[in-house]
Amino acid sequence: MSHDSTPHERTEALEHHLEEHGHVHHDDVDAAIVAREMAFESGDGPSPALGAKIVARAWTDPEFKARLVDDGTATLSEYTPMTVPVAVMENTPDVHHMIVCTLCSCYPGAVLGDPPAWYKSFEYRSRVVREPRAVLAEFGMALGDDVEVRVVDSTSEQRFMVLPVRPEGTEGWAPDELAALVTRNSMIGTGAPLRP
Amino acid sequence: MDGVHDLGGMHGFGGIPIEEDEPLYHEPWEGRAAAITRHLMSNTTVDRFRWTIEHMPPAEYLASRYYERWLWAAEQMATEQGLLDGPREPSPERNDDPWAEPAEPPRFAAGQRVRVRNPVTPGHTRVPRYTRRHFGTVVRHSCTWPHPTESAATGRHGRPEHVYAVSLDAAAVFGPDATHTLLIDIWERDLEDAT
Repeated sequence: MSHDSTPHERTEALEHHLEEHGHVHHDDVDAAIVAREMAFESGDGPSPALGAKIVARAWTDPEFKARLVDDGTATLSEYTPMTVPVAVMENTPDVHHMIVCTLCSCYPGAVLGDPPAWYKSFEYRSRVVREPRAVLAEFGMALGDDVEVRVVDSTSEQRFMVLPVRPEGTEGWAPDELAALVTRNSMIGTGAPLRP
Repeated sequence: MDGVHDLGGMHGFGGIPIEEDEPLYHEPWEGRAAAITRHLMSNTTVDRFRWTIEHMPPAEYLASRYYERWLWAAEQMATEQGLLDGPREPSPERNDDPWAEPAEPPRFAAGQRVRVRNPVTPGHTRVPRYTRRHFGTVVRHSCTWPHPTESAATGRHGRPEHVYAVSLDAAAVFGPDATHTLLIDIWERDLEDAT
């Protein structure tokens, strides 16, 4: 296949050849795209909204939080099918985790859906292991010098998501209200939850 | 393999390209290429897919957008799987189970000093260059999963092995200005005892 063609043309050519021989079907490709988009938008499937719901429950249900941090794979499978192990890294006022995949783009997709483009960028992948605080600053987040930063490189098939610190001033809030404060970046470690 | 994909710690890349309200796919072909690639991945292992991308010529890798690299790999995998030549029987039934129990008990324990091996191989490895030969500490047993070198070479999963979360002192890797900790998952065979 010629690389003088555009990616659009190459995708069409590949799909055409595969369909010609019965390996894929146009309608199945359509359905796969719609399913991903629907899950992302509705929050019923893998999406930041699903992650936010899980984080909010962990903030309000200590028994659930303990299970989530102790065995992420088993606990998350109550919400969504796990195709690979997933570990939940708990941030505290003293320890801040940030997730990266320096080698490709591994991400807890089973929970959060597809990663943001910056997560897959050469800039993030190369820099965050060397200078996490400089990267955090570009996301508008500053941590005190006394906070230990742990950069987690997703080098195995296990994926990682961050359980961010619950914002102050949210005592007594219901899980639904709390979930609205949980951003995607806060579950990757490049941001904090929104303030109430 | 020591490819350009192994970006951790490299200098020279600029600011993080943060995009507000980004769409799932930026152009329609991306979703189609992604769906086709996932289908082709289901005939083999994810490690085979990763190793395929790693074979992309470095200049092309760095000049391509994310889903262009997927598309490149999909073209290679479709050819390799014989799917462009005509109708073909699907891959033989797979009975490999990445969730199976490892054959051996874990060799390393939390708190143990270890050294990351330098896996010299043209094959697929998940040991990033910046971690190699460094000393660290096992934080915990992380998970079990088949070793990626075999999964990539054969397109099938072998017997799962133990994987450990190892902490490295970033100052030892990146110099005294680095005050953070690096947490890396390393397969048992890629570690050696350093007590």
